[in-house]
Amino acid sequence: MALDIAVLVSVGRHPASARNRRAVLDARALELALNVPGANIHLIHAGDADEPALREYLGMGVERLSVLGVPAHADVLPVLVAHLKALRPALVLCGAAAEQGAGSGELPYRLAAALGMPIVPAVAGFELHGGRAQLAQALPRGRRRGVEAALPVLLSVDRAAPEPRQSAYARAQRGQIERIAVPAAPLWQPPGEEQPARKRPKRLKLISGSGAERMRAAQGAAASAGKGQLLVQPEPAAAAQAIYDYLLSEGILRG
Amino acid sequence: MSTTPRLRNMRRPRLEGSGRVRRDPRAERLYCGEPAGETLSARGLPRRDPRAWYAAGPQANGRVRIDRSQRPGSASVAASAPLRAAEPALKTVVIAEPAFWVLAVPDLDDGRLSAHDRDVFGGARLLAADGGAVVAVCFGPAEGLDLAGADRVLQFDAAVFAGYAPEARAAAVAAVIATLDPRHVLLPDTPIGGGDLGRRLAAQLGETAAVRVQKLSAGEAIARGNGGRSDYHMAPPRLLLLAPEAADPLGGVRHEALALPVPELDTPTRLLDRGLLAIDPNSVPLAEADFICSAGNGVHDWSAFHAVAAALGATEGGSRMVCDAGLLPRHRQVGASGTLVDPRCYLAFGIAGAPQHLQGITRCERVIAVNTDLHAEMVKRADLAIVQDAQRVMPALTRLIEEKRHGA
Ligand SMILES: Cc1cc2nc3c(=O)[nH]c(=O)nc-3n(C[C@H](O)[C@H](O)[C@H](O)COP(=O)(O)OP(=O)(O)OC[C@H]3O[C@@H](n4cnc5c(N)ncnc54)[C@H](O)[C@@H]3O)c2cc1C
Ligand SMILES: Nc1ncnc2c1ncn2[C@@H]1O[C@H](COP(=O)(O)O)[C@@H](O)[C@H]1O
Repeated sequence: MALDIAVLVSVGRHPASARNRRAVLDARALELALNVPGANIHLIHAGDADEPALREYLGMGVERLSVLGVPAHADVLPVLVAHLKALRPALVLCGAAAEQGAGSGELPYRLAAALGMPIVPAVAGFELHGGRAQLAQALPRGRRRGVEAALPVLLSVDRAAPEPRQSAYARAQRGQIERIAVPAAPLWQPPGEEQPARKRPKRLKLISGSGAERMRAAQGAAASAGKGQLLVQPEPAAAAQAIYDYLLSEGILRG
Repeated sequence: MSTTPRLRNMRRPRLEGSGRVRRDPRAERLYCGEPAGETLSARGLPRRDPRAWYAAGPQANGRVRIDRSQRPGSASVAASAPLRAAEPALKTVVIAEPAFWVLAVPDLDDGRLSAHDRDVFGGARLLAADGGAVVAVCFGPAEGLDLAGADRVLQFDAAVFAGYAPEARAAAVAAVIATLDPRHVLLPDTPIGGGDLGRRLAAQLGETAAVRVQKLSAGEAIARGNGGRSDYHMAPPRLLLLAPEAADPLGGVRHEALALPVPELDTPTRLLDRGLLAIDPNSVPLAEADFICSAGNGVHDWSAFHAVAAALGATEGGSRMVCDAGLLPRHRQVGASGTLVDPRCYLAFGIAGAPQHLQGITRCERVIAVNTDLHAEMVKRADLAIVQDAQRVMPALTRLIEEKRHGA
């Protein structure tokens, strides 16, 4: 039996040109799905079926995109929940946050809650074995954590996932867009008064003191100056033990 | 003939006008004569004591502030000494009967409060300003909550909350919300920490959170959205996920951080934490590396260096000297003209600690240095400094790690 994977995609926007495009995180989610052998991929979008940017997902090698016909900037949660409840996919893949609209990254969590599925964020890759998903979750500083969950599960994908493949134009034009009529959805309301984002200055650390003190602070020496532990001419074995103990006590190495 | 009366009556244009604090040599000269009182020389000429002026130290009139002695015990050091002595005696703020609660849920990555966590507590204090109390909800032990601004602490220590346990944690925070009915709940908006937990809570409670809050004040939260292009100004909702530096951390006061009784919970666990996955540390870009093992001119035995880095599971780095010499690729260079790194730990073998190199590791909290020179800057910077030949320490460390690994 083929595995059903639903990939939820939204319309992205290029940060410099402000043109609509495929959303980078959603494209990564689709890339992960395309790499599952023998999967039955359901590409789903809730919004305007005539949006040309949606075809870019088809150009990645999917036959069909289902579009739930709600106006752009509608609250898409109810229609997506109803659609996915009927579809019953084993895996739902989303991006971590959309590039337009609220883009708060709350939709995947709300969907998971409504569908009763567990959700794992920041997924960088996964394998499926015997009804369970072995996930690699991206942690800061390039680390990865293994997380295991039983199917069905909802995964949100972040920048650590593999680069999406290019979108082929001919394929994008050939792909089908299936329009699905859904009950009217309420319009999404911005959570407050909307203003263009203002760049905020970074907090400055004020360091006072003599020039020498400020120089040392700029080099980070002030934080630890004078409180370090010093071993002079220890035996190499003792030195190694001291380093090992320090790394262990600070949790850098696990014993 | 004394020059003083004449000068005293003179206009001093440099002192008037701009209002900037400047040195006025004439005024200084004038000033010098006064404190000690003028003495007359044998020939009846007025003499002044140049040392008297230095001894008088910084002047309260805000003008002459020159202390050339630079010695401890000089006037300026004496003046700043009481400030330093005052630090340990922090005022403790007691909120005995809070009017309402504000929850702060720090990430406590590595069991420590991060700067971001402290900002969250700062934000919680802002929202609790009119008679509320801040409750820290912690998973695992934490230090420094009193200084961060917690009035009460709820510490969940059960094993189900350890590691990656967002569902159990969300259930715990939801239970606390149900019992305390806090006015606000604040979390740091980090992808797999507070940002994950907060969105779970929002979905569970059916509320909309303010996410990526850029700026928080008592009456307004500014959330960011629309792909980073819009700011949403709103009255602070119940759930707030703060970006770094959205509020200023507390300073100079201590709060009680009284432990509250922790409720018993029945917590779901559908996700299993399988621990950290082994990845090739050298595939990680230097700027993102978690643990860097770095080599300088004091390293000659390169096979021993690569072996120890591999045994430690550390990303390799180096000083400009070794990258210039082609011993390591350029993208491994740490420092002002290389990469500014931010690892949890930096282990430096045979690196002198030139300013350009130290600038690359300013943000690094834990530094270990191995150097033959006791007076190297790197040794001064280090939390653990070992004055020994790197060529002898590196193989010993590799051997020790391998022994521990096979022994365990
Ligand atoms: C514009 C500019 C930009 C620069 N940018 C950078 C930069 O980005 N990064 C950078 O690193 N440098 C930079 N530099 C160079 C910097 O000034 C130093 O020259 C360089 O960092 C020194 O590297 P080092 O500590 O490896 O070598 P050295 O200064 O030669 O120090 C070697 C150290 O190893 C110790 N040692 C010797 N033998 C042993 C042994 N057997 N065991 C243990 N210790 C031993 C010595 O005591 C000494 O402390 C820059 C310089 C300039 C002018
Ligand atoms: N209109 C939509 N149709 C389908 N999926 C969507 C839509 N909007 C958002 N998503 C998915 O939900 C993720 C997060 O959206 P958001 O919570 O709005 O930031 C996106 O990366 C998409 O995967």
